[in-house]
Amino acid sequence: MTVTDPAAGLHDRPVRHESFLVYARFRYLKIACAAAAVSLLLYLVDSPYGSRYGGSWAGYTLGIAGALLILWLMWFGYRKRSYLKEQGNLVAWLSAHVYLGVGLLVIATLHTGFHFAWNIHTLAFALMCLVIASGGFGVFCYVRFPRLMTENRHGSTMSQMLGRIASLNDQLRTAAMRVDDRTATAVERAVEATSIGGSFWRQLSGHYPNCATAAALASIAETPTNATPELAAAMRQLRVLLDEKGQLLTRTRQDIRYKAMMDIWLYFHVPLSFALLAALLAHVIAVFCLW
Amino acid sequence: MQVEVTFLTRRGTAVIRRSHTVTAESVRFGRGTDNEVPLADIRVELAAAVLRQRPDGLFIERLGDSPLYVNSETTGATLVDSGDEILIGPYKIIVTKPLEGLDAALSVELVQPIGDSLERLMTGNRIGLDQTGLSKRRVSWALFAILTILGLAAPIALYSSWDSADRGVPGVPTFLGIAWNPGEISNPHRYFAQKCATCHQGVFIMVKDAACLTCHGGIGNHIAPAAAVGGNQLRRHLQTTRCAECHEEHRGLHSLVIREGTLCVNCHRSLAEAMPTAGPRDVRGFPVGHPEFRVTVVRDAGARNFERVHLGSYPTPADHPNIVFSHAAHLVSGGFPALGYKPMVCADCHVPEPSGQGFLTITYKGQCQSCHALKFDATLPWKEVPHGDDARVEADVAGFYASLALGEGGPKRPALEVERRLPGDLSTPPSEAPSRRAWVRQKTAQALGIIFDEKRGCFYCHFTDSTRGQFRVAPVVMLTRFLLPARFDHAKHTRCSAAIATTPRIRNRAATSSFPASRSASPVTARNRPPTRRNRPVPLATSFIGRS
Repeated sequence: MTVTDPAAGLHDRPVRHESFLVYARFRYLKIACAAAAVSLLLYLVDSPYGSRYGGSWAGYTLGIAGALLILWLMWFGYRKRSYLKEQGNLVAWLSAHVYLGVGLLVIATLHTGFHFAWNIHTLAFALMCLVIASGGFGVFCYVRFPRLMTENRHGSTMSQMLGRIASLNDQLRTAAMRVDDRTATAVERAVEATSIGGSFWRQLSGHYPNCATAAALASIAETPTNATPELAAAMRQLRVLLDEKGQLLTRTRQDIRYKAMMDIWLYFHVPLSFALLAALLAHVIAVFCLW
Repeated sequence: MQVEVTFLTRRGTAVIRRSHTVTAESVRFGRGTDNEVPLADIRVELAAAVLRQRPDGLFIERLGDSPLYVNSETTGATLVDSGDEILIGPYKIIVTKPLEGLDAALSVELVQPIGDSLERLMTGNRIGLDQTGLSKRRVSWALFAILTILGLAAPIALYSSWDSADRGVPGVPTFLGIAWNPGEISNPHRYFAQKCATCHQGVFIMVKDAACLTCHGGIGNHIAPAAAVGGNQLRRHLQTTRCAECHEEHRGLHSLVIREGTLCVNCHRSLAEAMPTAGPRDVRGFPVGHPEFRVTVVRDAGARNFERVHLGSYPTPADHPNIVFSHAAHLVSGGFPALGYKPMVCADCHVPEPSGQGFLTITYKGQCQSCHALKFDATLPWKEVPHGDDARVEADVAGFYASLALGEGGPKRPALEVERRLPGDLSTPPSEAPSRRAWVRQKTAQALGIIFDEKRGCFYCHFTDSTRGQFRVAPVVMLTRFLLPARFDHAKHTRCSAAIATTPRIRNRAATSSFPASRSASPVTARNRPPTRRNRPVPLATSFIGRS
C-alpha cells in the first residue's frame, strides 16, 4: 500500500506571493510589447492612398486582432469565477489581462489611423479607452491599498474589529447603568447609532460627520463637580470605553474606505466593458453593412 | 403594601420564573439598584415609574422623562387593575390577580432584549459597496441595451425603412450620419451625403461600379479594352478592379482623384514585362526609379513627322525644325549693337505664357525681326518683305519694283538727247516701257538674291526647298512643348530654374552652338561665323534629369 504524502503538492506551489505584475518575470508584458511592436510595424508598412485608416489591409488586420483581443479580455470575467476549471493559473490570466489590455490601446489606436469623428466607431474607441483607464486605476488600487489595509488593521481582521466594537457596546451599556439619565441616553445613542459603512459616498470618503460615539465622548468629557465617587468612576470608565471604541471605529471605517476604493473601479470597468461590447458589435456590423 | 414580583425569562418554549415579595409603601421601577423592582437595562431611566396603593385601587405614575405605556397608551399616571399591561422601556409588566394576603402581583418580562450586539452591528450597517444597492450587472445590461439600440438596432431599422429624403422624418438623416458615417464625405459628393443608398446599393457588399457610373459614365477605361497591347492578366486586373478600390470615399473633404505616385507605380513598376508591346516602361518612383524622359521632336518638318526619343541616348537626340539657330551665337557676353550691346538672356526670346505654364511660340515678328530685318535694297532701307510666305515675297518684290517703275514714270529725258547713264546704275527706271520691264526684272532678281541669300537673307536661318523652286523655304515646325504626354508647369518650377541656370553643365549646354567649333566668347561676326550647312540639326538643350 502506498501512501501519498498530502503535502507533496505543496512544494509545487509558490511559497511567496507573486504579484500579477511581475508574474513569470513579466512574461505578458513582453508579449504585449511584442504585439505592440508588430502592430506598429504593420502600421508603418502600410501605405494606402492618402492617410492611413482602418479600411486598409493593415487596418483590417489590426481591427480583427483588436476585436478578438477585446473578446478574450472580457472572457476573464468569466474565467475568474471558475476557480476549479483547469484553464491555467488565475494569476497568469490576470497578468495577461492587464498587460494585453494596455497593449490593446496601441493596437486599436493604430487601427483607427488617428481618424476620429462623432460616430459609433469613435464611441467604441472612446469606451475602450475608458475601460483601459478604469482598469489602470484598478491596478493602481490593487498595488497600493492592500498594504495600507494591512497596516491599518494591525493584524486584525474586519470580523475581529467588528466583534471588538460589539463587545465595547456591551461594556458601555453595562457601565452606563450607574450613571445619570442624560449620560446614559448619550451612551445608549452611541451604542445604537454606531455608524460603520453606509452609503456609497460615505464608504468612499470615510467621513462620518454625525458620529454618535464622538458626540457621547464629547458630552461626558467633564465629570460634574458634585458627582459621587461611584458616578465619577463610572464616567471615567465610560470615557475610556468610548475613546477605545472611537479609535476602533476610525480604523474600521478607514478599512472600509480602502476596500471601497479597491471595489469602486469595477463599477466602471465592468459596465463600460459591456458598453464597449455593444459599441464594438455596432461598429463591425456598420462597417460591413455599408461596406 | 406587599407585592409579589415575578421575573419571567423565556428560553425557547420554556419559561423560567423567579418570584420574590416586595414590602414597601410604594413600588418603584427603574434602572437604579435602589428601586424595589430594578429593571437592569440601559434603556430604562434610573427612576422610571412608581406604583402606589390608593383607596380606589392601584395607581401607577411616571417618574422620569421616558414615556409610560399602559395598555399601549401613553400616560403620565393612571389606575391599573388585573390584566393591565404596563410598558417601561423594554420591560412589560403585567398586573396579575394577587394571591390571598397580597396587595398586588406583577409579572415582569424583558420583551425587547438588546440581542447580539455583533449581529445588530452587522445588520444595522451597510459594509461594502455591494450593500449600497449599486449593481454592476444591472448597469452593464442597461448600457449594453442602450448602445445596442442606439448604435445598431435603430440605424438598421431606420435605414431599412427610410429610402427617400422626401419622407420628411426630421433628424433621421442626421442620426444615421452620426451613428454610422465612418468619415467625412468629399466635397463633390456632399450634396447626396444623406442618401447612403446612392452608393451603397446593397448591404454587406462593396460599392459597385454601377453606382459610380451612374454619374461618371463618361469616364473611359484606363486602357482601351480593344487595344492590342497584350498583358491579358493586367487587363483583367484593371477590368476587375472596382472604382472604389482606388477612389475611396469617407476619407475627408478632398477630391477622390488621387494624385499620389504610388497609385501609378503599383502597376507601372512591372508594366514592361506584363505588356511589352504597349510601350510603357517600368516606373518605380520619382525621381529615383523613373526611366529617362522621352521627348517628342521633329524628325521631318517638311512631312511633319515627329518621333519620341530618349534624352541622353546616343547619338544625341536632335530636333529638326528646319531652322538654323545657334544659342551660342546669340548669348554672347558683349551683346549686339542693335540691342545696345546688352547681352541677351533666355527671356529675351522665351516669353512665358500668361498662365506661366509654358512659353509662347517663338515668332519672327516677336523675337527675330528687330535684328533680322528682311531688307533687300540698300537704297530703300525702309522696305522689307513679309515673313512667312515665300511665294508672296517674289510677287511682292516684283510688284514693288513694278509700281516703282510705273509710278515715277521714268526720268524725263530731253528730246533728241541721248540718255546717258552711269555704268551699272539701275536705280532709276528707264523711261521706255521695254526697258522698264527689264529694269523691274533685273531689280527683282537682284532683290531676291539678297533676300534669299544664305549669308544675310532667308537662307541664313532657313533651309531651301528646291522641290518647289529656287526661292522656296522649307517648312518650319517649331514645337513649344517637347513632353507632349505630360503636363509640366514652368510656373510651378521657378525655384528650380535658378538651380538649373547656375549648374555649369546645363548652362554650357545651353550655350552650345549647333556647330561644334563655335565656343568662342567673342561676338559671332560674319568673319568668324562658321560656314552654314544644309540640314544641320539643332541639338536639344539638355536632359534635365540629372544623372549622377
